[in-house]
Amino acid sequence: MRKAIVIGSGAGGSFAAMALAQAGWQVVVFEKGPNFFSNLAGSGPIQTLFANDDLRMNVRYFAGPDPEVFPRTWKSVGAPAVQYTGSVNDLPQIVGGGTVHWDAKVPRFWDIDFQQLSALGPVPGADVADWPFGYADIAPYYDEVEKLIGAQGDAAAQPSLVKQHAPRSGPFPMPPGPQQRSSLLVASGATAIGMHPFAYPMAINSVPYNDQHACNDCGFCSNYGCPVVARPAALMPLRAALRTGRVKLVPETMVTSVSLAGSAATGVRWVRMTSAGPVTGGESADVVVMAASGIETVRLALLSSFPDASGKLGRRLMMHSFIDGTAIFLDERVHAYRGRSITQCAQDTCDPDYPGARAFARENGLPYIRGGNMELGGSQDPISEAQSYQTLLGFVRSSKPFGTEFKQLMRASILRDRLAGCQLIGNDLPYLEHTVTLDPTVKDVFGLPVAQITWSAGKSEQVAQEFYIPIMKKMLTAAGAAVSLAVPATTDSGGLPTGFHIMGGMMMGADPATSVTDSYGRVHGLDNVYVADGSVFVSSGAHNPSNTIMAVALRNMRHLAGTS
Amino acid sequence: MWHFGHVLPQTFPVESIVPGHGPAASVPRRVVISAVPVAVASAAVLSGCTSSPPKPRVFRFFTAHEAAVVTDATARIAPGPSDDPAEAGHPGAREAGVSNYIDLMLGALAALGASGAAGSPTPMIFAGGPWSNRHTSGPDMMATFVGLDPVRQIAWRRRLEGWQQQYRAGIALLDKQAGGDFTKASHAKQDSILASSALSTFRALLFEHTVEGLYSIPEYGGNRGLAGWKDISYPGDSQPRGYTAQEVMQSDGTDVLADTGVVADVLKFLKAV
Repeated sequence: MRKAIVIGSGAGGSFAAMALAQAGWQVVVFEKGPNFFSNLAGSGPIQTLFANDDLRMNVRYFAGPDPEVFPRTWKSVGAPAVQYTGSVNDLPQIVGGGTVHWDAKVPRFWDIDFQQLSALGPVPGADVADWPFGYADIAPYYDEVEKLIGAQGDAAAQPSLVKQHAPRSGPFPMPPGPQQRSSLLVASGATAIGMHPFAYPMAINSVPYNDQHACNDCGFCSNYGCPVVARPAALMPLRAALRTGRVKLVPETMVTSVSLAGSAATGVRWVRMTSAGPVTGGESADVVVMAASGIETVRLALLSSFPDASGKLGRRLMMHSFIDGTAIFLDERVHAYRGRSITQCAQDTCDPDYPGARAFARENGLPYIRGGNMELGGSQDPISEAQSYQTLLGFVRSSKPFGTEFKQLMRASILRDRLAGCQLIGNDLPYLEHTVTLDPTVKDVFGLPVAQITWSAGKSEQVAQEFYIPIMKKMLTAAGAAVSLAVPATTDSGGLPTGFHIMGGMMMGADPATSVTDSYGRVHGLDNVYVADGSVFVSSGAHNPSNTIMAVALRNMRHLAGTS
Repeated sequence: MWHFGHVLPQTFPVESIVPGHGPAASVPRRVVISAVPVAVASAAVLSGCTSSPPKPRVFRFFTAHEAAVVTDATARIAPGPSDDPAEAGHPGAREAGVSNYIDLMLGALAALGASGAAGSPTPMIFAGGPWSNRHTSGPDMMATFVGLDPVRQIAWRRRLEGWQQQYRAGIALLDKQAGGDFTKASHAKQDSILASSALSTFRALLFEHTVEGLYSIPEYGGNRGLAGWKDISYPGDSQPRGYTAQEVMQSDGTDVLADTGVVADVLKFLKAV
């Protein structure tokens, strides 16, 4: 029996474990963080300790990693020194990975995302390339992922642009659930300026599905673990893997290096913290599959001194160029705290031929620019809202930035109950100078160098921001907002990266001279080390990446298992 | 995930976790400060009454005097009816038990001892789940706290030691600025001390923890009687009931907010961002 080690239990690792175990392999899954689920391998509903608790999730790092012990560092491109040490776009460090805290949005990448170089052409200064496969090749894996984890949506009602660029073979497994009032308001603004909003595809059960509960619209969705496990995501392939009886899940254990003997991996070394201090050990295997998420997989490759013939290991980090819109309604409380976070989206702005976009690009010396999928809706919880007023009172009431006026703001709730957000998930081009490296000074709790991230908005992204910001404001005003704001999350020189979309660093490609992993995710120069997470992405698309991470992991691991 | 923080002038998390590696002073801020419409703070009508003494109780971290200072200071940040006449009918930090929340947090690991021995009480860092049943019937499963794995014990020990030092020093500074006892100072004097630049760092920490104690689930020791949530018409945790499709989709009706006072000034500021 062949044996694999899978590093990470999230979107990619769960599908890797399933594909290999179902092909008869023995699999050990190492997860750095704890497990807050029970009945994973059983039948019936999965149980969890997650709850409607914003303090635990948004303030106290319950899903981890805690930056006191697992920090990262960040600087913008060209900055002389590190600008921040702490949480830098950290994904959860927990069984289930990023699919625990996500709001489970599962749009598909478009055909042009997989063929960005041949379909749209090169962009000066960027390393634009094609994936080693096209949309038609990956579409069956999207189908299988959406069926297994359970996706809701209305295939027939998807706008023609989406049908053209990401055609489906059939309906979604489940119909859309109730639409949030706040999302519908923002969507009305999108319609008013000529866009085509629709029910956001998401991997949340609108009806009981695969032995798991239907969502009851509790409202604690984005950035929370689901208390009723109505969006199980990675837990479904993990369950399928565990049910083979050939998979061992090892939580609270961090892989510290992949052990190499020449071009072959013999296994991994790991470390686990105990009350008496760190304990280390090793595990051998025939194959090692890395799925620790874009940044951590690169860090582990660097800690393991992987070969890097192309010079691209750790380069081309993509995290999307977000623009955050804010609509404030003075005539209505729009109660975004009810329902699945953000139930509408619009993809018109993914199109390089959005009206005016080509001309604007050319005026700025670029062949094209791209926006991205727009999430129509969203708000924040009271603790985050209060933190916003704490900051704002420092500006508008500097002589006394606290007291009854703070409480007046909380009751008025312009930044929570009267707010509907909007986020454009902008295509982030791959740049060789956007990197993950080992920080020379900062170490984690085990004494290992942490990931240093160098990333900021490139020229194409800045031009796209300039083009789309007025369009977003116009949309929010058309939605009836008294105040409409739109700001880029990151600029050329500043803005800590956020948004949790981690892609690139170990790009796939047929040619070892220009890519880090082969057409199925095997690391060039190593016989038996594979990557099955977002780090293999060649482009960032203009959509939430998890569905694509899962579909690509499934495709590549089926190939490895010989069952594709 | 939509993120309001990007709209704000300071885009970094407040917490900087490695000494000397915090947000660099050279990081450009998004807002042009000179464009800020700084409104004149309205002259708060301050009552002359002094706060009632706290009931004797055993604290996890604070001394009785420290608890009294924190109770008064957080009540200036989020005043209740006895702290500011403008808040009549609106409970604040004092009524919500914010100082109790802070004390439980700062002392959360004290019972664990140096090595977090097995069998010691679970630290009150992570409340349990999956729900409280506070809007339904049944046991409160959020009240059974989740234990910390060894890595998280290290993280929280470091974090709480830092905050404990900040509180000890901050409370001492509040007393010093008040001429010996912060709790004996008038409300006006307490406000001016808290607003002074000498207190800005500690005030920021107190403000954060006041907010947490007001609006977090009550299992953490604040938000007493759901006072924080009721004041802002927020139902809090909703599981296992959730919301009906109608509650999700339909408008709650017209609710016009007067664009005046601090609301108007914040909106004006945001429009200028």
